[in-house]
Amino acid sequence: MRRTIPLVLTFLVGMYPIFAFFVPHATVSGVNQWLDKALVIVAAFALPLGVVNLVGMNLEKIKQRRAGWPYAIVLLAGLAVMAYFGVIGVIKGDTGFHPTFEVLFESMVSPLQATMFSLLAFYVASAAYRAFRARNVEATILLVAAIIVMMGRIPFGDMLTGGRMTPLSEWIMNKPNAAAQRGIIIGAALGAASMSIRVILGIERTYLGKSRD
Amino acid sequence: MNLKKLLYIDRRIIYLVVAIGALIPIIRPIGLPVVPTEPVIGLFDKLQSLSPGDAVIISYDYGPSSEPELNPMSAAILRHCFHRDIRVIIMAIFPLGGVNMAIRQLERVTGEFEDLEYGTDFVNLGYKDGGQAPMKAMAVSIREVFPNDVDGNDTASMPIMSKVQNYDDVKVVISLATGIIGEWWADLVNAQFDVPVAVGCTAVSAPKYYAFLRSNQMIAVLGGLRGASEYEELLRRNFEWAREVYSDPDEMKQSATTGMDVQSIIHVIIIAFIIFGNVMYFATGKEKGR
Repeated sequence: MRRTIPLVLTFLVGMYPIFAFFVPHATVSGVNQWLDKALVIVAAFALPLGVVNLVGMNLEKIKQRRAGWPYAIVLLAGLAVMAYFGVIGVIKGDTGFHPTFEVLFESMVSPLQATMFSLLAFYVASAAYRAFRARNVEATILLVAAIIVMMGRIPFGDMLTGGRMTPLSEWIMNKPNAAAQRGIIIGAALGAASMSIRVILGIERTYLGKSRD
Repeated sequence: MNLKKLLYIDRRIIYLVVAIGALIPIIRPIGLPVVPTEPVIGLFDKLQSLSPGDAVIISYDYGPSSEPELNPMSAAILRHCFHRDIRVIIMAIFPLGGVNMAIRQLERVTGEFEDLEYGTDFVNLGYKDGGQAPMKAMAVSIREVFPNDVDGNDTASMPIMSKVQNYDDVKVVISLATGIIGEWWADLVNAQFDVPVAVGCTAVSAPKYYAFLRSNQMIAVLGGLRGASEYEELLRRNFEWAREVYSDPDEMKQSATTGMDVQSIIHVIIIAFIIFGNVMYFATGKEKGR
């Protein structure tokens, strides 16, 4: 029973939008629109679920003194402080943001994230120097395409080649790149569709967790 | 000199060269010219084709990590919309600071316009959790998905929202996106509800979006700092007000045009290192570097 009800619910809410797509009757669409609204609420529950999971995993890490456990304390403290001021801001504040929340975001979260991603320029330069080698034909094609696209993304490229680099770079992005990306996207979409069918039909059940029946 | 030593350049030297290369254009901007490309012109032309009073959605789907690339884009698009009296509905789907980015950008740009009225000319609906779920529900009623704006005001009483029921009343959705969110707007909102979608994204995400652009699921793709600087250039070429805005030294510091100087130098440095690394690779008999 513990598994049957979720499986039936999944089947019904999974099949109904497909049914509604092909039957554009007002009553059928009305129920489907109600499902869409309910989906917003249900999807919001993913956030507290994630928080519970994160807290549980990190408490366990601290308890067992696993590698890097002091960072888990920092993570939980950060989560608690931001969540506290975030919730207080919504309850009491006129603007939805507690002043302390804004200060923490502007002076900690924002610069920390920006710094982390700024470091990429340094790592990319170092990694490109060490790893980007014309070892074989495929690597050489990749290397040449990368250099053209990189030069095409900056004004220097056009200055050096009399305006030819941007059109060449755009051609690579529009033709070979778009074709490859399209293949990846279609492949991923087919995978997602088949997984959805498996879930709706109850073939894929791992989302239900381990059975204790 | 032993060539193998050159193959094993200390990474700290590479970091130092990159740091110097990034600092020089910040201290002394070069002002390299940018040529607008078709994927960026698509959005400019679309906004130009709209009539005053038409509504667009700008979704802030990025956080502080993508600020340097997407903030200049956001400022340029907002300016274009407000100068053309296009109504702007702001929202955020990205949880890690999307709404903060929207607030900052509105503070930066709206001060330039004296007659702009909140609730009539623009509104900030704030963040909505659930990713694709609110996107889909907005097809029925945007007000039901966002009953309150970011400050908790009732959206039903706002003049801008009285004219916009759902996607049928929106001329274009512009997603300033990091990660996969821009793709959702194309997959869901364009494909199912036929709303034109444009995406401004980080440079690293841009290649993926070209597939959507070629299949007409997007009308425009603004890729990274280059896309933003192209949009600024389009504004400068077409409007006197833009030439004034982007000649202001404070504004220029935050502009993509200045950022492009840094990006140009860094790209050249990386390309130089790649070429140098390959020359050394062949000169040393294809020895593997560390």
